[in-house]
Amino acid sequence: MEVVSYRNVETFVQHIPEVTALGVWIKAIIILAVISAIAGFGTYVERKVLAFMQRRLGPMHVGPYGLLQIIADGIKLFTKEDIVPQNANRFIFMVAPVITAATAFIALAAVPVFPDFTIPEWIPVIGGTFVPSIASDLNVGILFVLGMMAAGLYGPLLAGMAQANKWGIIGAARTAIQFLSYEVVTGLSILAPIMIVGSLSFVDFNAAQAGGVANWLVWKQPVAFILFLIAGFAETNRTPFDLLEHEAEVVSGYATEYSGMRWGMFFIGEYANMITISVIAAIVFLGGYSTEGLGWLWIMLKIAFFFFLMLWVRAAWPHVRPDQLMWLCWKVLMPIAVINVVITGIVMMV
Amino acid sequence: MSEVKTVENMVSITIDGTTYQAKEGEYILNAARANDVFIPAICYLTRCSPTLACRLCLVEADGKQVYACNAKVKDGMEITVDTPNILEERRAIMEVYDVNHPLQCGVCDKSGECELQNYTLELAVDSQSYAIPDTKREVKDWSTVLHYDAGLCIVCERCTTVCKDMIGDAAISTTKRGGEPLDKAYKETMPKDAYAMWNKLQKSIIAPSNGTDYTNCSDCGECTAVCPVGALTGRDFVYTSNAWELERVPATCAHCSSGCQIYYEKKHTSVFDRSEKIYRVTNEWNYVSLCGAGRYGYDFENRVEGKDEAAFNAAVEAFKKAETIRFNSVITNEEALMLQTLKEKMGFKLVNPDARAFQKFLGAYAKAAGQSLYSYDFKEVMVTDFVISVGASLRNDNPNARYAFNNIQKMNKGAGLYFHPVGDNLVPTFGKNIEVFTHKVGLEEAALYLVLDLFADKEKLPEDVKSYLESFKSTTTKTVKEKVMKEVTETVIDEETGEEKQVTKKVPEMVEKEITIEKNGLVELLGKESDAFDAAFEKMMKKKESFSMIVGEDLYFHDRAENIAKLIALIEQTSPVRVAMIPPKTNSLGVALICDLDDEATGYTVGYNENGDFRLSALGDGDLDMPAMNQQEGTLTNMHKRVTPTNAALEYNGYELNDLMKVLVGAPELTVDWTEKLPVEKGFRTAKFDDLPNGYLNDGTENRGYALENITCEAEAIAVEKIDENGVLEGEIVYRCNPQRQFNDFTDKAHEIFEGFGLYAAPEKAKALGEKVEIDFGGKSITVDVIEDERMEGDITALADFKSEADVYSLFGPSRYRKVTIRKV
Amino acid sequence: MGLEQFKNRNVGQQEYVLLDLEHTPQTPMGKFKQVVKRTFKPELFVGLGVTMREMINALFKGQMHTIKYPFEKLPISPRYRAIHEMLRLLESGHYRCIGCGLCEKICISNCITMDTRYDENQRKEVSEYTINFGRCIFCGYCAEVCPELAIVHGPRYETASEQRASFSLFEDMLTPIDKLNLQQEYDGFGAVTPNADENIKKTPLAY
Repeated sequence: MEVVSYRNVETFVQHIPEVTALGVWIKAIIILAVISAIAGFGTYVERKVLAFMQRRLGPMHVGPYGLLQIIADGIKLFTKEDIVPQNANRFIFMVAPVITAATAFIALAAVPVFPDFTIPEWIPVIGGTFVPSIASDLNVGILFVLGMMAAGLYGPLLAGMAQANKWGIIGAARTAIQFLSYEVVTGLSILAPIMIVGSLSFVDFNAAQAGGVANWLVWKQPVAFILFLIAGFAETNRTPFDLLEHEAEVVSGYATEYSGMRWGMFFIGEYANMITISVIAAIVFLGGYSTEGLGWLWIMLKIAFFFFLMLWVRAAWPHVRPDQLMWLCWKVLMPIAVINVVITGIVMMV
Repeated sequence: MSEVKTVENMVSITIDGTTYQAKEGEYILNAARANDVFIPAICYLTRCSPTLACRLCLVEADGKQVYACNAKVKDGMEITVDTPNILEERRAIMEVYDVNHPLQCGVCDKSGECELQNYTLELAVDSQSYAIPDTKREVKDWSTVLHYDAGLCIVCERCTTVCKDMIGDAAISTTKRGGEPLDKAYKETMPKDAYAMWNKLQKSIIAPSNGTDYTNCSDCGECTAVCPVGALTGRDFVYTSNAWELERVPATCAHCSSGCQIYYEKKHTSVFDRSEKIYRVTNEWNYVSLCGAGRYGYDFENRVEGKDEAAFNAAVEAFKKAETIRFNSVITNEEALMLQTLKEKMGFKLVNPDARAFQKFLGAYAKAAGQSLYSYDFKEVMVTDFVISVGASLRNDNPNARYAFNNIQKMNKGAGLYFHPVGDNLVPTFGKNIEVFTHKVGLEEAALYLVLDLFADKEKLPEDVKSYLESFKSTTTKTVKEKVMKEVTETVIDEETGEEKQVTKKVPEMVEKEITIEKNGLVELLGKESDAFDAAFEKMMKKKESFSMIVGEDLYFHDRAENIAKLIALIEQTSPVRVAMIPPKTNSLGVALICDLDDEATGYTVGYNENGDFRLSALGDGDLDMPAMNQQEGTLTNMHKRVTPTNAALEYNGYELNDLMKVLVGAPELTVDWTEKLPVEKGFRTAKFDDLPNGYLNDGTENRGYALENITCEAEAIAVEKIDENGVLEGEIVYRCNPQRQFNDFTDKAHEIFEGFGLYAAPEKAKALGEKVEIDFGGKSITVDVIEDERMEGDITALADFKSEADVYSLFGPSRYRKVTIRKV
Repeated sequence: MGLEQFKNRNVGQQEYVLLDLEHTPQTPMGKFKQVVKRTFKPELFVGLGVTMREMINALFKGQMHTIKYPFEKLPISPRYRAIHEMLRLLESGHYRCIGCGLCEKICISNCITMDTRYDENQRKEVSEYTINFGRCIFCGYCAEVCPELAIVHGPRYETASEQRASFSLFEDMLTPIDKLNLQQEYDGFGAVTPNADENIKKTPLAY
């Protein structure tokens, strides 16, 4: 196969090589491997960034600048005893973390994560296979991603309810109200850009914003952007909305009784979700990616910025109370989102 | 008896506005102490003569400044302890004491129990006004046990006082220090008493009184006990422990029948060995004086690993097949009662030679006198002013009896008669009015007849005795030169204070006289010139009111012990002389009262601290270990007729006699549960061990255990026999007598007691005997070292009996004296 | 100090600023206004700004606070009470301890023990001295009570060891004789006060 370069955006879709099942598998494996690694690396970055912001050094002792800390943590998580509490519902308890991790990765199936490429011919068996940038280019990509992330609610919910622990139950309850509530804001806030673009496909969003910074949707929909970010923080359980497993209040929330790799799966899922939200925000509002030149680097930087923002916020802000969380959602964000949709509609109509 | 006992009249005195009762004739200081009133004093010792060295006890009595330790109370006396002038004097005195006193309280062995420290604080000495160049004062070891740090000494003279007035050795005295003379300016500026005291202090220091660097004394260590500062200490104790680290266990000394109250002071052995060890023995030195055995013979404990079950079972078997139990009197009343119970239930014979002789003697006395116990205890002896000692080697047999004899001479202006065959050069030094009879062995009866002759109311005596006594008298006429005392008045300047005093002296003048002399054959028989004795006795009897007699072990181990006991009863019946007896060993009195003893051992014998086929031993060398006296609780009956409690100072892990009792005949849980079962009919009380006190009250009252009841019974008519001169021994005679500080195997085990087992002899005799001799008792013989005893005189030698292994008792049989053949080896 | 003064002993020049706290709005309009005010006030971003500034300071201006213990150590106060040290006399090199036993007595956790004896020079010699660091609570009483400033608290605060006995014997605590010149005079608990001279009464001497 030839390596094609697309100069015209319009021809982009037409020139896509045939996507084979093997290509999708390879892509899936890449996502799984890379995102897991990035999630792990994310923990390192988080610890480092938070440390710097507090004028500390962070992890320093395992490997150069503490880089191998991830591996050390990984070894620790894998080798730790897998404890299932006596009174827990054993099956659900064991399945719940898988749900969190699985939904997080499944959501990434519809997100363009890396540029597409073709595996060189000289590699046996898989040589010449085209690996797409999106594992599954659904035309309802955004809906799918949001849907999958919403399904991720079941992970913490079931975990909290299955473990026979009061902190777990409280964590589960908080999960339910927080995720369900902010699902509304996410959906409504992203509705306005969807109305403008007229598609639910990430490729279309990307295409719609091609041509420079001025075309970014964030300029057209600043309110939607902010709402989406706020809701995204809540969806990913990040400060200032980290009520699900807030140590000072509910020990570790839904994850109280988890240990070892099961707890690690929650952790990976959470970081995968952070990446997903960062990717969506970058594609939907900040112009997405470009296949030209350093386009891949730009999208990386955009994603990295959102990731960093999450850490930064965590370093700077205190978290809110549960009642403030609900108040903010239903009394502030939701009305604003609705108004934003209405105004967008009116502007489009006019 | 009440006619001889002085009824102590109480007078009322007022101290600082409060009225108190005090005994008539008592010193103000003692009266105050008895009433819990504090008067500062360093140098004064209760029971000893006032030294007037410290002058702190200055008080105002009826408007006049007097020394409270030296002035006697009068009825209605008004005493003020502190007046401005007196306070100034006291403060100055304390400042003087602090001049040049080394500031090494941190290392001093007194470690805070220091009277110098206490009074410096009490009198609030916070600055110093006086100074004088210091003199180098050496640290010296006076003997194997005494350590003297002259630098710390404040020359209060308590040590010399106690050594002279109580112990009788007078082995130390003040000597010249060679210090700088005081600045004359001080005489004007300083308070008068402080200056006088300093003047004396600056000139003197303490040293052995024999002029050498070493004391020649009984090593009792009482001087170290009374020392108010850290100057005098036991050599072994120096710098090993602070006083506050030591735990004090009140106990009763188990070495001799004095049964003195002592404190075992113990703490862990070292940093690495946490097992407890006794570091020293202390005492209430104002009320009781210890001997060297009590003070230094403390580490005789029997350390065992644990309970040796095999040995215990073997012991049970041994008891089951035994016929006799042989033991000595170094056991508690409780153990004695256990052995008696064993006898009653299992039919053993109980053999205890020392207690058996004493039991027989006491029995004979009781029958004749109509009371189960002798009349006086030694505290009562101590307040009499005429004391007679018969049949006791005072220096060796019992320290408390010796202290009493000495104290009477020193404190009561007393007199004494000392009857003993073995010459002793210490007893005559106790006082001027002592007549020593070094009589022939076997003439103890003669001594008692002489006492009868001298003191008995002739009207009360039976006719035969009266005529027997008369038969010794004869009359001769003689021209003698007689000393007549003439009174001369002189003016003398006091060395210390520089005051002038009028002193009346008696100067002897020789006058020739022709007189008729009654010659007393008894005196001659006992080896003294009759007329010289009569003159001396007349002098001795001046102003004497109360009389006591100390009776010793020689009389119990005597062929005619029964007759002697009767004679003693007769003396008490017909004269004001009251008798106190010295039980031969620690608890001989208790054993004699509690146990039903047998004369001869038969068959298989279990020995308790004694020889036997199976040996129970607290010495650690027997078949089954027993606790030593410092490891067990119990009571001891001492010679003061008192049942005193003793406590376990050290841990004991093994079996005790009560464990054997439990298996053999059944017994209560603890040894001390036996205490309340002691026989009431013998004078004991049903008192629980834990209720027995063990201490002294402020006025010196002995609040220890309880006093035995002296049970009276119908007295038989006393029929005494004449002196049996057949028993008189002549030739090479050996006396069974321990050296000072040795009483039994336990004192021998203690590491600070060095007196060895052997034949003690006067220096000349020792030289003649050589280093080692074989003593042939006719049949049995023993080979021992010859040890020189400077205090002994004459030809009679003394063989120690403290080693039960050597079985000296059986060599001597029923007497303390034996005629032997001594061969050089 | 009277009771009143004692209670107010910390009251003085203090730089507290009272926040200008508003009353909670009661009307819906008031509440709305508060929300708007809070939302659009840049305070949230001030917070972000502070953390970013600190990060930049830390990374690029060398204001990182971390001390890489155990590779780096902070100096500690002379009053810090760590593992004990036994000091020597500077002139003779002999240890200062006179074996008075006051530390042993005052020790509230009973962890000090010593053996003393009478030595050849007629002095009190400390033959053994140990502190049970399993029990020691580092209260400093021993240093305070010591009349010779012989036992002091040193700067060795790292007390983890395979053997507690590792630093509990006399020789372990004693200044090594070859490092006598490095011995620091202790000015912590129990040391002589700077005005000690003024408080001493003079004793006359006749020499």
